[in-house]
Amino acid sequence: MQPSLSGYLLIGAVLFTCGVVCMATRRNAIGVLMGVELVLNGANVNLVAFSRYTTLGIDGQIYSLFIIVLAAAEAALALAIALNFYNNHLTIDVDKASSLKG
Amino acid sequence: MNGEAVFFTLFTVSACLGALAVVVSQNVVRMAFWLIICLGSTAGLFFLADADFVGAVQLLIYVGGTLVLLVFAVMLTSSGPYVKIETSPGEVILAGMIGLLFLFMVIAAQTGIDWEGTGSRIAEASEIDPPDGTFDTGAEGHTLRPIGMSLLGLRPDRGAAASGTLFTGYLLPFEIVSVHLLVVLVGAAYLARAKRRREA
Amino acid sequence: MGDTLKTLLMIAWLLPLFGFAVEILWGPRGDRRTTRWPAWMAVACIGSGFLCSLSALLIWGSGTDWAVLQSHDSHDAGHAAPSDTHHEGVEPQEHPAHESAQQNPIRPTAPVRANDAARWHLTTAADGHASDAHQNAHTAAGHTDSPSDSAASSHGQVPLVYHGTIYRLAAFGSLILSIDYYIDSLTLVMFTMVTLIATCIHLFAIGYMSDELTDEYVDHFVHTSDGGHLHRQGRFYRFFAFLSLFCFSMLGLVLAGNIFQVFIFWELVGICSYLLIGFYTERHSASTAANKAFIMNRVGDFGFLIGLMVIWTWFGTFQFSDLFASLPRDDAGRVVTGEYGEVALALPDGSSKQIPYTLLVVAGLGVFAGCIGKSAQFPLQTWLPDAMEGPTPVSALVHSATMVAAGVYLTGRFYPMFVPEVLLVIAYIGAVTLFLAATIAVVATDIKKVLAYSTISQLGYMVLGLGVFGWAAGLFHLITHAFFKSLMFLCSGSVIHGCHHEQEMTRMGGLRHRMPITAFTMLVGVIAIAGLSIPGLIAFSGYHSKDAIVATALAFIQANPGHFLLFLLPLLTAGITAFYMFRLWFMTFAGEPRDAHVYDHAHESPWIMTLPLLILAPLAAFCATGGEDGLLYRLLAGSEPNYVAAGVSSTASGLTLPGHHAIHEVHSTAGTWALVAAIAGTLLAWVLYGTKAVRVEDMKRQMAGLHRFLTHKWYFDELYDALFVQPVHQVARFFAWIDRTLIDGIVHFAARLTVLASRWDRLFDELFIDGLVNLVGRATFSVGRSFHVVQTGRLRQYVMFIVVGVVALFAVLFTTFPR
Repeated sequence: MQPSLSGYLLIGAVLFTCGVVCMATRRNAIGVLMGVELVLNGANVNLVAFSRYTTLGIDGQIYSLFIIVLAAAEAALALAIALNFYNNHLTIDVDKASSLKG
Repeated sequence: MNGEAVFFTLFTVSACLGALAVVVSQNVVRMAFWLIICLGSTAGLFFLADADFVGAVQLLIYVGGTLVLLVFAVMLTSSGPYVKIETSPGEVILAGMIGLLFLFMVIAAQTGIDWEGTGSRIAEASEIDPPDGTFDTGAEGHTLRPIGMSLLGLRPDRGAAASGTLFTGYLLPFEIVSVHLLVVLVGAAYLARAKRRREA
Repeated sequence: MGDTLKTLLMIAWLLPLFGFAVEILWGPRGDRRTTRWPAWMAVACIGSGFLCSLSALLIWGSGTDWAVLQSHDSHDAGHAAPSDTHHEGVEPQEHPAHESAQQNPIRPTAPVRANDAARWHLTTAADGHASDAHQNAHTAAGHTDSPSDSAASSHGQVPLVYHGTIYRLAAFGSLILSIDYYIDSLTLVMFTMVTLIATCIHLFAIGYMSDELTDEYVDHFVHTSDGGHLHRQGRFYRFFAFLSLFCFSMLGLVLAGNIFQVFIFWELVGICSYLLIGFYTERHSASTAANKAFIMNRVGDFGFLIGLMVIWTWFGTFQFSDLFASLPRDDAGRVVTGEYGEVALALPDGSSKQIPYTLLVVAGLGVFAGCIGKSAQFPLQTWLPDAMEGPTPVSALVHSATMVAAGVYLTGRFYPMFVPEVLLVIAYIGAVTLFLAATIAVVATDIKKVLAYSTISQLGYMVLGLGVFGWAAGLFHLITHAFFKSLMFLCSGSVIHGCHHEQEMTRMGGLRHRMPITAFTMLVGVIAIAGLSIPGLIAFSGYHSKDAIVATALAFIQANPGHFLLFLLPLLTAGITAFYMFRLWFMTFAGEPRDAHVYDHAHESPWIMTLPLLILAPLAAFCATGGEDGLLYRLLAGSEPNYVAAGVSSTASGLTLPGHHAIHEVHSTAGTWALVAAIAGTLLAWVLYGTKAVRVEDMKRQMAGLHRFLTHKWYFDELYDALFVQPVHQVARFFAWIDRTLIDGIVHFAARLTVLASRWDRLFDELFIDGLVNLVGRATFSVGRSFHVVQTGRLRQYVMFIVVGVVALFAVLFTTFPR
């Protein structure tokens, strides 16, 4: 299987979908975070592929770099929030975090 | 079937399987393990796509940083040794169906595009031309120098066409992101620090 | 010399203002309220003013070598009959050239004389800087002085008139408002008279007002609602502050060099009299009287304003000197009129302008209307008796010697602007006034009211004298009257003070035993005003001045027999005057005490009050000694307009105005008649009130109708009430009715209509607008409520929603935009 644009895109789609499903099924907040990471990676795969196979050039790679950095930041913050939540509720089940529901 | 194809196949399979395993496995620690597999494979795919610096960053930050963070979080928040928070099967099935539907839609959108029609352009851009062999791709990677220079606001890869225009690289976003990181660092430290409950 | 005069008179003028400022600002603080220092301050100011005025008069006289006194009688002397009783003391002088004497340059051809200097002065003053103007005035005065020194001996070419600008206030185009001065012998005599009398009155007031020197003054004439009397702080300082301000205003009026400045001080005098009449402001009668005085004066001032407007519009200047110079008169003193009755004015800027003759009449009548109000002439005479509500020194100062004199003074000052028709009106007004007031005085029983009506009557004499072309005679009487009337007012004040504020003569009597000084000085004043004399031996001032007026009137009716009333009324009134004045004296000082209580408590006033009486009494008696050859008359006559002496024959309206010659011929006749009338009046008074030979009560009963008519002051107040007040009330009531029924009806209807409309509007708002708004709100609310089930708060569901949304979106995209 030769590397090709559609191959990469396919991988990105699979990662993305897996991330979405992960977010939708996990009740553990950290599981949800992992789903988010998967989704971001799927997007990254797409950007890198476009960088390689289209005239986008290194801009795609720079975008993906920013995404990685921001994902790391997001992960740090999200984990901090999760820890805080755990400290307050002694659980990490996102379904319990429904105080603000309509 | 050359080495590139072999590695591509290998990484593709491991990335997809890793992702699926993340979805499927019920244990958070295992999920983390499978996520490492998945993200590492993705880094390999980056290398294959000549994005060696992005791949390296992927390995460093994701695999080496973020996932360690996640594992720490798991350790800090697990109330018992093997606590599982189960999801109801109905929800799982519903999510799976919707996920499949989504996957199908994305693939349909992707395959609907006539990539071959733009093939000539793609072929032209298939190699990022190192400018006049001023640097050794073997030693410095394919895109390390252009990325670094564009983060400094210079675009040698665009040639003279870009000079003098408004688009002068990513210096400002770079600065913003650095400040952003600092803010996040402070904010996360503030949020996560252990608060002493007051004994009232 | 002009500069010196100006400075001296300005000092005399401004000192009272300074005194006023100090007294009103420093007076009310702390214990100064109960000390006499404001009085001494005021006395010092006005006394220094008197000294300044007197020295100014002396400087003026010596500067002119008393020219007005020496050569005055040249004309008379040529024709005087040696047998003339009145002129016995005067040596008949053979004058070689009495024709030239008639054109004697020393006779006040005043506006011409100092004109060159003053004109130049005015033009330079118009250039701008007051200080420059002052410098120029100085040199101008110097110019006038230097020839005067050399020429005085040769031809007497000394300026008798000095005028110029002290300070230019503003210039609106060609309208220049400035503080001017106009100094001639009339100004100087008035200054001296006013300051001297004011000084005496100030001294008197120190004693009279001393019961105000307390923090707790009890006003027995004001009853509070709880039956007690009003208690208030003493207002000693305020009284003297007002007196000072009044003196300042009066002196400013006399010094004024233009008619507009006169008007300003005219109003200041008015407001001062308002303040002083209403001094006991808590007494209803006092405040009403103050209002009445003020409002009646406004009526006259309205005419004054009209006169000012005519003058400004046609003459373009307010300066006396310019005004007098611009009215053309021929050699006989007639105002030169053109073919159609127009008068060609010679304006100060050298141009000429035609003015209708009627407008001159209007201007003259307008200015005289102001004098009618101020001098309480018919028909505006009713305010003055009411004004006796003020403290008695105020009556003496404001209502005998000075303020009411302002009207007569202005008539004299503005004399060259009055054409013969106006003079006729002036004469008739004076004649009616003097008779009317004298008759009322006969029945008045309030001692101050008698004096008030006698004041009106005497003012009528002055006005009549001016009106029948006796310029000097009218002003002569003004001065003499000021002395003896202020004396009598102060005497009455002394009586009132001694009798503890009892003013009714019917409760007095025999007071000469209790207050001899007052009785004696009062008798001097009474003889003076009555015009009694022993011919050839002794004659008090009133005899001379009234004689001059009656003589002028006689000469006038000889020339114009149709106007015989102008002689009959003053002659008759001369008798009435003597009657009511002696009636007053007999009722007050002679006979038996009518009220034992009043008599027992009566006492002579302290020296501070009798001293002014003793000062004023000789002045009242002898200030006019010598009559028309005397010092005072000649001083005044020195300022007489130059055309008056010769008389004016057959003017356009057929009037003949008598000259000095004509007057002199009838002088002895008139004097005899007047003396007979006065003696008759005196005898009648003595018979009725001195001897008790006839019971006055019986006479009163027999002539009840006449008595009632007179005690009601000819029903003037009632007449004015019916003529002006009631119609105004009726009209007001009518308009009030219109307001209440028509206007209010419309307003109420509109209001009701508005209420109705707004009720409908409210219904519409509540049902429709609110309904719409509530509908939107309710719809939004229910939509939100229905959507709130979606907000489950479950994170994973949201993810599902997003995914489903994206899928649906793409599905729609793909189906809508197929490739």
